[in-house]
Amino acid sequence: MFETIFIGLSVGSILLLVALGLTITYGTMGVINMAHGELVMVGAYTAVMVRIHFDLNIFYAIPAAFLMAALIGLIIERLVVRNLYGRLLDTLLATWGVGILVQQAVRLEFGLTFFDVHIEGLGVGLQRVDVPDILRETIQVGDIVIQPYRTFIIFLTVALVVLTWVLLYRTPFGTQVRAIMRNPDIAAACGIDVKRVNALTFAYGSGLAGVAGVMISGFKTVSPSMGTPMVVDGFMVVVVGGVGSLLGSVVSAGFLGQLNGIFATLSNDILARAIVFGAVILIIAWRPSGLFNFRGR
Amino acid sequence: MSTKKKLEFLAYAIFIVITFMMPLFLDIFWLNRIAKYLVFGMLGVAISLSWGYAGILNLGQGLFFGAGAYMLAASLKLASPTSLQQGSDTPVPDFMLWNAEPGSLTDLCCITKVSFLWIPFQAQWFGIFMGLVLPVVLAFILGNIIFRQRISGVFVAIITLATVLLFRLLMIDFQPLTNGFNGLTDLGWFTLAGFEFDPYTVQTYYLVAASLAVVLVATRWLVSTRAGLVLQSIRDDANRTRYLGFDVSSYQIFFFCVSALIAGFAGMLYVIAAEFASPTFMDLTFSITMVVWAAVGGRSSLLGACIGAILINVIEATVSETELFVEAWQAIIGLLFVLVVLFLPRGLAGLANDITDRLLGGAKKSQQDAPSGE
Repeated sequence: MFETIFIGLSVGSILLLVALGLTITYGTMGVINMAHGELVMVGAYTAVMVRIHFDLNIFYAIPAAFLMAALIGLIIERLVVRNLYGRLLDTLLATWGVGILVQQAVRLEFGLTFFDVHIEGLGVGLQRVDVPDILRETIQVGDIVIQPYRTFIIFLTVALVVLTWVLLYRTPFGTQVRAIMRNPDIAAACGIDVKRVNALTFAYGSGLAGVAGVMISGFKTVSPSMGTPMVVDGFMVVVVGGVGSLLGSVVSAGFLGQLNGIFATLSNDILARAIVFGAVILIIAWRPSGLFNFRGR
Repeated sequence: MSTKKKLEFLAYAIFIVITFMMPLFLDIFWLNRIAKYLVFGMLGVAISLSWGYAGILNLGQGLFFGAGAYMLAASLKLASPTSLQQGSDTPVPDFMLWNAEPGSLTDLCCITKVSFLWIPFQAQWFGIFMGLVLPVVLAFILGNIIFRQRISGVFVAIITLATVLLFRLLMIDFQPLTNGFNGLTDLGWFTLAGFEFDPYTVQTYYLVAASLAVVLVATRWLVSTRAGLVLQSIRDDANRTRYLGFDVSSYQIFFFCVSALIAGFAGMLYVIAAEFASPTFMDLTFSITMVVWAAVGGRSSLLGACIGAILINVIEATVSETELFVEAWQAIIGLLFVLVVLFLPRGLAGLANDITDRLLGGAKKSQQDAPSGE
């Protein structure tokens, strides 16, 4: 029982980690970033590269991946998203294209493959990341076996949620973000530099995706196409939770994670995922604006 | 009839004539390929109808394509001379033997717990019938959930996307019924009125080309009817249309079903031409790729979306000789998509529209503005 809940919790925290960035970008800017999964992938590859080229473990990879993904996010915002404000569905499609580009950039090693130059750690093959010993050995407390890596993920997720909450609700920057969330035009009229704040928000959300990628690289093989299913999961969490609601995302990630965990132990992984999709469809049909939503539409 | 309308009819006519003239220039291998791309063109029509005309971004069109494909494939599987158990009076598909319940009778009725569901598919008309009905039924149920609740915009995209992925997982999981990941392969030939449609013959090509022509013309007619006009007004402003007294969700559900019907029909044709059905039809990537085709061709033009689909696939087939180029082509597709959305939101058809406008005496402002993606 405890183990099932624990698995659900760790699945949920991964979901939340992926969704957190989306909640912010979607909530504030109304931008559906389909390249979010690819930013997760970039984070995972950062962990791979940091290990291969600098011989550093994943603790160092976390800030590196945050910066890397945030930088790419900033570029995406500048070149694509900024030009598509107010065209919600178009951003969905354009960022899907961006996602393909990022994926192919990794797969083709930025085009160097054509010149027979290879960068170790990139390319079509699968990569893996070693988890440091501290996080590998299980700890036995009474009857309960604690897996330190999953525990670490849960704690990191909690820390990032708290950090995001503080950023959104306890800083001047957060006040600006929330003002834009409510009404970008009025926010601009009040003297908020909407473009700048949006760019930074997008970069922050992307950075969180990078961190999620590092954590995922610890227990999944890293490949260029690993991000695609993640963006779907992330969106389920965000939409079920309610647009732009941090609390909603936390609750829905926890709920969907537990659902997945319980049914994965009862039947198999495929069916568990199917049940999660089914639950998402029912919830959207029942409450189209999500479980928690301050915006009365 | 205005000059522009004449030009549009001319474009349709030229397109249809060209598709019918293909057998004069191409060998049978390429004809089979082009037949598949014409099927994709039909998917472009379905996407254009739901996205361009109804404003419904359906990211789950693969569900309907897959439903149509699997239904006909089930019948063709049972008609296959090679994939059934050899030397038996009671033929069962090969994969059922691998999934057989221990000690069960080798017969469709009871070899696995669910194999009896395959019995009606022994009649090919049943496969065809289900291939058309199942997508419509699915679309009707899904449409009722979506449009009666007045779910719109991006939520439609998410819910359709979740649905197609849900069905994909179910198809993979129900191995004894669907052969899971492997899909249905080694199919027999489609037979109509005693004639066998070998996929590598001109006849099969004509079957596909004629179907596409019919679908194109019928859909073009449908959007010009009163109902089609109401649909376009819903796309532009659903609330205002509602205030005018139209039952908005009924129109949306109806056209959602029509779009599903076209996609299901396309799925059946694809099975005839390609001789397999697989869960990849319901991949997220495939459903979004269809939207890419329509966007590049021009979502608000049925013909444009159709040509977009065919064009992209033909180019892809010509450049994808080596594996490296396949990957590079993917990158080009990604880039193309970003650029089209950014700079050419109405696609190639929009571009053609602007050019004809200019040629027809420039001063007149373009009548059709791009429908916003909302």
